[in-house]
Amino acid sequence: MGAWEFYLVVLLVYLGTDLLAAWGLNLEFGVTGVANLGYIVTIAAGAYAYVIFTLGSPASAGDFQMYVGGFGLPFPVALAAGVVAGSVVGVLIGITGLKRLRQDYQAIAMLVVSLMAATVVSADTPFLNGNAGLVLLPNFAPLSDQDPEIQRWAYVGIVAFCCVIGYFVLRRFTTGPIGRTLRAVRDDEYAAAAIGKDVVLLRLMVQAAGGALGGLSGALLVGFIGGWSPGAWAYVETLALLTAVIVGGMGNDRGVSVGTFLIAILILQGVQFLNDVPELKALEAQFNRPALTQDLGWIVLGTLTILFIWFRPQGILPERRPKYGEVRG
Amino acid sequence: MVSEARPILEVSGLVKHYGGVRAVDGISFSVERGTITGLIGPNGAGKSTALNVIAGFLPPDGGRVLLDGEDVTGQAMHRLARRGVVRTFQLARVFGGLTTIENLLVAAPGQRGESALGLLGGGRYWGKSENEVLGRARQMLGAFGMQDKADEYARNLSGGQKRAVETMRALMTRPKLLLLDEPMAGLSPSLSRQLEDMFLGLTREGLSLLLVEHSLDTVDRLCSKVVVMAQGKVLAEGRMSELRTRKEVQDAYVIG
Repeated sequence: MGAWEFYLVVLLVYLGTDLLAAWGLNLEFGVTGVANLGYIVTIAAGAYAYVIFTLGSPASAGDFQMYVGGFGLPFPVALAAGVVAGSVVGVLIGITGLKRLRQDYQAIAMLVVSLMAATVVSADTPFLNGNAGLVLLPNFAPLSDQDPEIQRWAYVGIVAFCCVIGYFVLRRFTTGPIGRTLRAVRDDEYAAAAIGKDVVLLRLMVQAAGGALGGLSGALLVGFIGGWSPGAWAYVETLALLTAVIVGGMGNDRGVSVGTFLIAILILQGVQFLNDVPELKALEAQFNRPALTQDLGWIVLGTLTILFIWFRPQGILPERRPKYGEVRG
Repeated sequence: MVSEARPILEVSGLVKHYGGVRAVDGISFSVERGTITGLIGPNGAGKSTALNVIAGFLPPDGGRVLLDGEDVTGQAMHRLARRGVVRTFQLARVFGGLTTIENLLVAAPGQRGESALGLLGGGRYWGKSENEVLGRARQMLGAFGMQDKADEYARNLSGGQKRAVETMRALMTRPKLLLLDEPMAGLSPSLSRQLEDMFLGLTREGLSLLLVEHSLDTVDRLCSKVVVMAQGKVLAEGRMSELRTRKEVQDAYVIG
């Protein structure tokens, strides 16, 4: 497998897992109006669940790394565990904010949950090996009798399959009567309650579904890259997904998919190539900013978010409502 | 047992204060089944606060609210709505990102497409129920003369149209008791008269209404009973024609 072909496989896996995550966040934020700034924690939960379900007993790792669990179970079980973990954590995050707080305070509460979770996991080394994270996952090899090259493409196939399933589940929530009800809750939670909608219950249900998509995303990602640590799920990662939702078009599943490709692949992966620009390297050295290219990615994201909120809040592909036409007969 | 003679709504000794201000100060009144009761009074009398407490939007600081003789004091708004008590807001609240007709559709009770089975089964499961709801919504839009606004985003409607959408949405829930906070404000005179006729028609089908309203002409035409509030208390209660002659009502509420 050539370097470019390998790179393509990596990009496709990133795209697939980012799509699942962005869809989940769009369901929560774009469709239902829960500004879940702790969304990345559901992805982390899915990833860690996958890790401790696939790794062997912690005793076998000796002093190398510490963790709970270590069930040594096969890929599909670990993937399912990731989905469940994401869903449960999504509901827990929801409970912190949704029951008593107003919408803007909910976002703050959820952001704090994200920061706290990262701090706890980093500090508590026996839990999930702290800051160093967990590595050396058993290599998951679909079609184990084939070339590694074909195996990698098979993984892309698994991710694509999960995306198809994920999109199907997502559309069940965002279309039809239930999608309409969720958008009503987003637009005015008091008016929704006044016509009998249980706003908290609906939002917790959406937290469960969005969290499940996040968990699936995290599990698929870690199954490919083979390791996971707090550095991979800093709270700013939620902001990257949020940018994809805002730029693509809040509440529009296809728009958010376009936004994800634009933000997660074109921009955040594209800036990596700036490392090949000698002038930029010179600037990095001159200002002693070794991560300048990374930072540029975030600067572009932040700028895009502000520009879209100012000038095109509906995003590239705005939310579309069904047409029922005029009264007949 | 629900007795036919029993009022649908009984409010007794209801209290709500904000800090030191007793916005609602121990009010008691009732709404008879199948009638329209008016709640009037000068600005700041506590009418909207009373409505908010009865509807479960604000928790009460004292007193009781009985629905069909059953204590529902302090129940959450969505629970009361499911029992048939549906309110509108003083400033019309619409779902701006939904179209006009969707604002009505979303309010239909017991939609199959909203259930867990609906999520699993998809359109095949809820399609028929959706068509019925759609039929009702179109009829309602027709009755309000807003067919041509069906596919317009509700956020683009005028103030009066938004208020009409809110009233239609409340009616879509098939309520037993409607709590309306100034439903005529901002409506054209002709639509306003049409709405009055519609409310009177609905009471003959058993609907009961509690109406906070500033236009005394409307109150005169609609309400079999009027409760006058001032400074958080019930000042007087009776027919509008009697109340007009009472000195204390005239003092609190300059009646023309």
